[in-house]
Amino acid sequence: MIYVLYVIISLICIYTARHYWFTLNRLFAFQRHPYIDIDTADWPPVTILVAAHNEEKVVANILVALMAVKYPSDKMLVVPVNDRSTDRTREIIDEFVTRFPGRIRPFHRTGGKGGKAAALKDAMELVDTEVILIFDADYIPGAGLVRQLTAPFFDPEVGGVMGRVVPMNCGTNLLTRLLDLERSGGYQVDQQARMNLRLVPQHGGTVAGVRLSALKEIGGWNDNSLTEDTDLTYRLLLHGWKTVYQNRSECYEEVPETWPVRIKQIMRWAKGHNQAMMTYGLRLLLGKHRACLRERIDGTLLLGVYIMAPITLLGWSLALAVFYEGIAPLHGVIALLSLTAYAAIGNLAAFFEIAAAVRLDGNRRRICLLPFLILGFTVSIFSVSRAAFSQLKDALTGAEFHWDKTERFRKAAS
Amino acid sequence: MNPYLALTVLLLLAGSMFMLPLIPALVELRRKSDASPLNVIQQYAGEIRHFADGFRSYTKELEILLRESQHSKAAVFGTLPDGTDYLVLGRGDEALRLPLREENGLCSLLIATNSDLVLPPDIRFDKDIYAGGQFVGGKKNHYRAILGEKTVHLSTASRVMRWVHAMGEFQADPDCELHGRISSDRSIRLQKPCSFQRLNAPRIEIGQPVETASDAAAGHHTAPASTRRLLHDGDFAIPAGDVFQGNLVVRGTLRVGSGATVRGSVKGDKGVVLEAGVRVEGSLMSANKMQIGPNSIIHGPVIAERQMVIERGTRCGAADQPTTVSAPWIDAQEGVVVFGTLWARELGRVAASS
Repeated sequence: MIYVLYVIISLICIYTARHYWFTLNRLFAFQRHPYIDIDTADWPPVTILVAAHNEEKVVANILVALMAVKYPSDKMLVVPVNDRSTDRTREIIDEFVTRFPGRIRPFHRTGGKGGKAAALKDAMELVDTEVILIFDADYIPGAGLVRQLTAPFFDPEVGGVMGRVVPMNCGTNLLTRLLDLERSGGYQVDQQARMNLRLVPQHGGTVAGVRLSALKEIGGWNDNSLTEDTDLTYRLLLHGWKTVYQNRSECYEEVPETWPVRIKQIMRWAKGHNQAMMTYGLRLLLGKHRACLRERIDGTLLLGVYIMAPITLLGWSLALAVFYEGIAPLHGVIALLSLTAYAAIGNLAAFFEIAAAVRLDGNRRRICLLPFLILGFTVSIFSVSRAAFSQLKDALTGAEFHWDKTERFRKAAS
Repeated sequence: MNPYLALTVLLLLAGSMFMLPLIPALVELRRKSDASPLNVIQQYAGEIRHFADGFRSYTKELEILLRESQHSKAAVFGTLPDGTDYLVLGRGDEALRLPLREENGLCSLLIATNSDLVLPPDIRFDKDIYAGGQFVGGKKNHYRAILGEKTVHLSTASRVMRWVHAMGEFQADPDCELHGRISSDRSIRLQKPCSFQRLNAPRIEIGQPVETASDAAAGHHTAPASTRRLLHDGDFAIPAGDVFQGNLVVRGTLRVGSGATVRGSVKGDKGVVLEAGVRVEGSLMSANKMQIGPNSIIHGPVIAERQMVIERGTRCGAADQPTTVSAPWIDAQEGVVVFGTLWARELGRVAASS
């Protein structure tokens, strides 16, 4: 029992060190933005896929925004992927097709397998450009975003591009404010540090792009995956393609405004991530492929982020058991010192990261909300653990995964 | 003391201490003093002319005065609603005789004219300048920003702190320091030695132009349709005179021999060295340093993440296919021509030919 606990503590320490490494890198090291300067070019033709499943509240906003972006209109085709919607999504899209002839080619899907990856896979029949950009329907791209996300594809090593997601409804309630802080930490520090250190920035599946030839090389969209973005990141990596992160390519999104929706969202992410871990984890770490050592290590740690929640819960249980069994070595002196050290430094790692991110974003007073993140972490740790156990149960009983769409809160555009 | 009371007091104290860090959080949650979304600029697409356009709108208030002054040939001093002092000149050469220079060598007036503007030397202009005609600055002047409706010519050892936009040609004489953005709707020419950061024009010429064999070959081309990619671990060399078809990614250093042609895009992770007369029909990328040999032709974007040296006679982009050349540090030798953007994040220098 004590040795299992040692392993868990070691894992937690590795993730703690990683948090500090990323944060310090983001604060003090050279920041890589190699493609952001490309403002003049012979821009390539681009297809923009807009994933939409029952998106009547938001789909008009993104289509309006895309029609206003600064990109040669004869080189840009918007393909709204209307995935079996039962609301007014189809009607709204068709209105835009009439208003902007030749610029929008809708893909109305009425049947087939559920999930975003399956819908994107089917929509590929309309795609013949080398550069594909992907947005979820609740995003609102700015005027320069299409150019910014296309620019990295001039680099022949780049297979995928990821931009930064910024919550637009962050002021709604405590949950949205906590999610805003988490997003800051995740993008401003985590993703940018990975970019700086040439590790594995994660493809997020929205505000993102993929190269058609790379996608074909890796076998196209994986419609068996719950998180097609994580799946894509790892398949690109294993085939020698880079995913790059553009911190200044920002785009507004809508974050969940109620806890049940948030829990459902994070459970789906956890299941998809764990699925990718089971599929690619060992192969990435030990297999023969084109990723270098630092990418193997970082990629493996990234795959493990969601499984760390149940492992941490197990660690807490074992620590209690060890305490009451009285088997702590040196009468608990080492445990006491370790606990004190971790309480002083380790527990602060994630908070330090988020505080640094908020500071880098130029916000000050929202840092006051940091103590409330304990609430967010507690909900996450139990939700993600529940997802892992449910996934284990599904694997044992042979039950199939199903894809849950995240509910929208925006009022429909008039 | 009653033990129950003691316990209650202890619990209250402990609870209060636990709540202490939550007080600022609760206050912020209630007040929402910093609850607006991160400011994502939705309409700004990074255009180099952004500040020039802003200044043009700002000077709209002077439009009538500029016309009247041009007609009357008189100079008018005044103050804009935001408190900025201005001088509107009826005749641009009048600036040579007016006492623009204050005691410390500073001129804190916004200067505007609808005519050609000629400025005396050795003055630090603290405010933006608008010239409706041609602009000629005196030697060793420091400018904040200049908007010129025709040509803009900066004399020797001038310095620009923020931006210049010329609707006509822009020319900087030797020893100029050009910080910020310099743009022209026609062309930019920098004499050696000069330093720069961000330049944008249909044609950017570094130093005196040199006639090269690349002139005839630099015209329009159609990018190769092939998406074949070769990924090579370690160093790689394309022999002199060879033709490489497709995209090439080299995890080590890439060397392209003289006269070789790449029909695609190339990248070297540890560095890129192009010998003389190389032609790249796609983009050219380096995750480290890059050296582009003389008389080369690159059609697509050219990016080096550390440092770039562009030797004489090299051309990047074409008149009908503008492109971007970017690196933190750039040394561009005489005779280099870039069609589009030349952007040195830290420092760009016009260097002598080696």
